[in-house]
Amino acid sequence: MTGEIFNANPTVYALSKRSTRKSKFEAGQSLWVDELDQPKLTDESDIEPIDQDEIFDLIRSIADPEHPNSLEELRVVSAEQIEIGHNHILVEFTPTVPHCGMSTLIGLSIRVRLMRSLPQRFKVDIRVKPGSHQSELAVNKQLNDKERVAAALENATLVGTLEKCLEPVGEHGSL
Amino acid sequence: MDVDPPYKLELVADLQGHDERAWQVAWNPIKPLLASCSADKSVRLYSYRAPDHGCNTVAFSHVGTIPTGHTKTVRSIAWAPSGNTLATGSFDSNIGIWEREDASDSEDAGGKVADWECVTLLEGHETECKSVGYSSSGTLLATCSRDKTVWIWEVKPDADFECMGVLMEHSQDVKCVAWHPSEEILASASYDDTIKLYIDDPSEDWYCFLTLSGHKSTVWSLAWSPRGSYLASSSDDLTIRIWKRVDEHTWKFVLELKGHERSIYSISWGAGRATSEGLGWLTTTGGDGKINVWEITESPSSKGPLAAKLLASTSGAHDVSDINSVSWCPRPDHADMFATAGDDGVVKVWRVVSQ
Repeated sequence: MTGEIFNANPTVYALSKRSTRKSKFEAGQSLWVDELDQPKLTDESDIEPIDQDEIFDLIRSIADPEHPNSLEELRVVSAEQIEIGHNHILVEFTPTVPHCGMSTLIGLSIRVRLMRSLPQRFKVDIRVKPGSHQSELAVNKQLNDKERVAAALENATLVGTLEKCLEPVGEHGSL
Repeated sequence: MDVDPPYKLELVADLQGHDERAWQVAWNPIKPLLASCSADKSVRLYSYRAPDHGCNTVAFSHVGTIPTGHTKTVRSIAWAPSGNTLATGSFDSNIGIWEREDASDSEDAGGKVADWECVTLLEGHETECKSVGYSSSGTLLATCSRDKTVWIWEVKPDADFECMGVLMEHSQDVKCVAWHPSEEILASASYDDTIKLYIDDPSEDWYCFLTLSGHKSTVWSLAWSPRGSYLASSSDDLTIRIWKRVDEHTWKFVLELKGHERSIYSISWGAGRATSEGLGWLTTTGGDGKINVWEITESPSSKGPLAAKLLASTSGAHDVSDINSVSWCPRPDHADMFATAGDDGVVKVWRVVSQ
């Protein structure tokens, strides 16, 4: 990292109320329903579908790489920017400034959080909100190139930075 | 498709063993050996035997694992045409050259792990090596990297290599290198959405004589037709393009194929069980976990010089995983057999059979 601050004074927004339903992933369970608790749920159609809020709950607390705030507080991510399809999730995020040099790192941290939390069957696409970044296509291309992502995750320095982003920003990012 | 394809894919072998994502499979051109490489930094080797009285399918058995010593993912593997040497390209930016300690022993497919040793480590790329490939004569090795370069190495006796050229034509990562099946023509595919072709100028150096543009995103993989008059490419733009040689140094786009919903990571062109006018069988796979097999024929029709017919298609071929590599078996007696490698760490072998 160069130490350059891309957005020195970002707007910090009040947090929306946390969805009351506890995500299964947060509860430490897999999406595949616990067999002991619910032995009757065997048919695939009985599996509770995943929704926007559950995905949002997974990524809202990710720390911004250059501010002591969560991605939710900076409105980089929101439930509205998440689309769910059949075994497919699309997450859009909005960099705080169009020249944000941290966008790739933010996108990568979202991808890693989802990769670690979701069952393998989900294909995840991540992109910046259209029009929100001057290098939109380049950032999107990089975030969705699995070979580049795989190589990035073998880079110890980068993984160190990523892990810091993935430590939750306190409880609701209290300062 | 309204009409069911005439063939289906039959699973011949399900080869587990890699601890992480398997990136590529490569058939030994001479011996009955299949190799795979993985993010777990190892190469696994399998031998296979033709059907006999006791068994009516081709039987595969694991005969060795090379730990490689690469410090990061082994992304790519390639056999030399002799079948005696294996090259590995790794995200640690190096290329390993592997030979068996006692080559005279090598007919014995049950060779031990310790038999394979790293005879040379080629250093030079600045970042991840993504693809390696030997020329048809085995005298040249090409490698490419995220550092945007393609290197051409001359293979000398005693595992000695000399760099013949560093080609800096692409503006982004180079994803794949592929040699023409009989001539010294190299093709490379890139994250910059283009394909470039190179030849050696006897009085000068290797140079790029042609750029093929048309794909709208990363070109992941390349495959020459068995006789070399066509080149096929697969891309993140969800299309396959076939380019025809119309002159010694000119290729033209002649056919686009679709049929995948996510990035098409790998393409392989085999002889297939094609009719005499056929150009062989083309198979593609990718992030959608689907395998498609096409029969390619030269058609005199007005629609274009080539026709493609979908012979077989299978979804979820590696369960929910992406499939990263597909490769036809080069042996004429197994021309209907190919292997795949997936994010599930599994290598699978398939046969194209009638419905």
